[in-house]
Amino acid sequence: MARSSTENMITLMSSDGEEFMVTEKVARECTTIRNMLEDDCVITNIPLPNVTSDILSMVIEYCMEHVAAAEKAAAETAEKGSSSAPAAAKANKDLEEWDKAFMNVDVYTLCDLILAANYLNVSGLLDLTIQTAANLIKGKSPEQIRKTFHIQNDLSLEEEEKIRSQTPWAFEKSE
Amino acid sequence: MNYLPEGVVQQILSQLKNARDVASSTCVSKQWQSCVPYIPSLFFSRAAFDYSPRGNHQRFDYDDTIGRMVEAALRLEELVIYCPFNPSNLGKWLIPQGNTLRVLELRMDGFGDKPGPDGTGTQLDCIHVAKQLEQLKIWGVSLTTAPKWGVLRKLKNLEIVGATLRDGVLEEAVHAFPNLVSLVLLSCDGVGLVKFELEWLERCRLDFLGHGSIALFLSTPRLEELNVQGFSSIWVKPNHRLRTLSIAKTHGRVYNVEMGKLAEVESLYLRGIQWSWGAISSVLQNATDITQLTMKVEFCGNSETLLPFPEVDLVNFFNSHPKLQKFEIHGAMFASLCQKNSLANVNSNFVIPSLEEVSVIVRSPLNAEQKLNTLESLVMHSPKLQKMVIRVSQMKNCNEAADDFFEEVCKFQFMNQRIVCIE
Repeated sequence: MARSSTENMITLMSSDGEEFMVTEKVARECTTIRNMLEDDCVITNIPLPNVTSDILSMVIEYCMEHVAAAEKAAAETAEKGSSSAPAAAKANKDLEEWDKAFMNVDVYTLCDLILAANYLNVSGLLDLTIQTAANLIKGKSPEQIRKTFHIQNDLSLEEEEKIRSQTPWAFEKSE
Repeated sequence: MNYLPEGVVQQILSQLKNARDVASSTCVSKQWQSCVPYIPSLFFSRAAFDYSPRGNHQRFDYDDTIGRMVEAALRLEELVIYCPFNPSNLGKWLIPQGNTLRVLELRMDGFGDKPGPDGTGTQLDCIHVAKQLEQLKIWGVSLTTAPKWGVLRKLKNLEIVGATLRDGVLEEAVHAFPNLVSLVLLSCDGVGLVKFELEWLERCRLDFLGHGSIALFLSTPRLEELNVQGFSSIWVKPNHRLRTLSIAKTHGRVYNVEMGKLAEVESLYLRGIQWSWGAISSVLQNATDITQLTMKVEFCGNSETLLPFPEVDLVNFFNSHPKLQKFEIHGAMFASLCQKNSLANVNSNFVIPSLEEVSVIVRSPLNAEQKLNTLESLVMHSPKLQKMVIRVSQMKNCNEAADDFFEEVCKFQFMNQRIVCIE
């Protein structure tokens, strides 16, 4: 598909007033923004009152990386007529590695990213962050889970006792 | 994480399935407690209860816990139980989940055909309540009586591993799943005849135990992939669409294979101790367009006596399989392919057009000269050949002949270093 060389630039503004210039293609990775652009195509400046500049810059970094990877794959397909399976597999693996490294963040950042991905509706980033959070739960006791995610225990002693008595085996210490 | 909305916590918890993680999540906070029942999967691992305060010895200790957790789930889609459980409770657990359950996997530890809780039918009859079931996998089941499963139209994948069967039971059981797309029966035992008519079946893998002769009859018009082990006589209605075919028999003899045309088969794999030559040649003659061929058959013959292979005209063989790219051939069969030595006398215009990769296992120095000639001819007449692997293994008579032969093979390798390698 032919694309105009002068691509539209969109300005995204974070909750703390910082502006980020991105190509329309990158902005469109966020379904929420894509819908805005489709409703009103002359829009060039989008305030995002729910996302701080730190988090927004990370979301943009993620979108740029994934747009670049998709463009590279499309270019290779166009060049050779069809993409070679091993090359595509390697590109996928590289992107997975990138995602993994990208998820090397503290739990506060992770939660903020989940919220931002949810609000902006970046499905790939949402899946990635949700899965990362779920992996942090695995194999942990309730106490360890609370500590990991900084969760306040609002269950009363009686409630907790009752829940534990339902599945006592799950709360035995593993050796 | 206190500030994450319930919908998001829900999404995170829905990635869990291990029963222990699910149980832990229940008592983290009120929010988490209210999200847990919406987790769509529950997985009780083999060792799920290894830390049970009630010890590991009593078999049915765990049923209460499984029951409580399954009961608490509000829209269970996937239930996997690998730990020991009492199959009589299964019905009680499944009924409330009947409308949502899509995947069910059970490890039965030899149970299955005992009467159900009401004293009739079998313990597995209750699966019929899961009308939405798409995938069913049962391990180590005793299926000497057919469970009454009615008809489960949504079931696409059935996998049974390690089943004790009786003739006819399997057919009756599979009858409940008219829309099966994939059927896998592994390490099954106890039958002499297996017969299926499945209109939508695309993939079929059957691995049956036993030295006796087992016959297979399939009427499967959409079958694309067939992988069978343990059958001595195989009949597939010729209206199939097979692309991949693998037939093996590690004990006993394969004496009959009838499948009609195999024109769409690309990958063919034949393995066994003894095949009748009729069965081999029928498969090879029908599979004209194969690109990959593996032949690991030790002996021929239609009776108990193990016979060597008849001589094969290699020129004819390659002429009738012009698309062959990858060819792997085992000792005895390679030896007989060399016998006729037809490649040696062919005119120089002869080409094996598609051959890219050859793998030969050589086990004896007998007729060393013919074998070497054949190898040389293969290299000479195959313009696309990129790789030839010669595996010299278990050379029986470790005498001078073997040494000489090996030396010759090494020389041959040296002269064709870019293509040939020895393993």
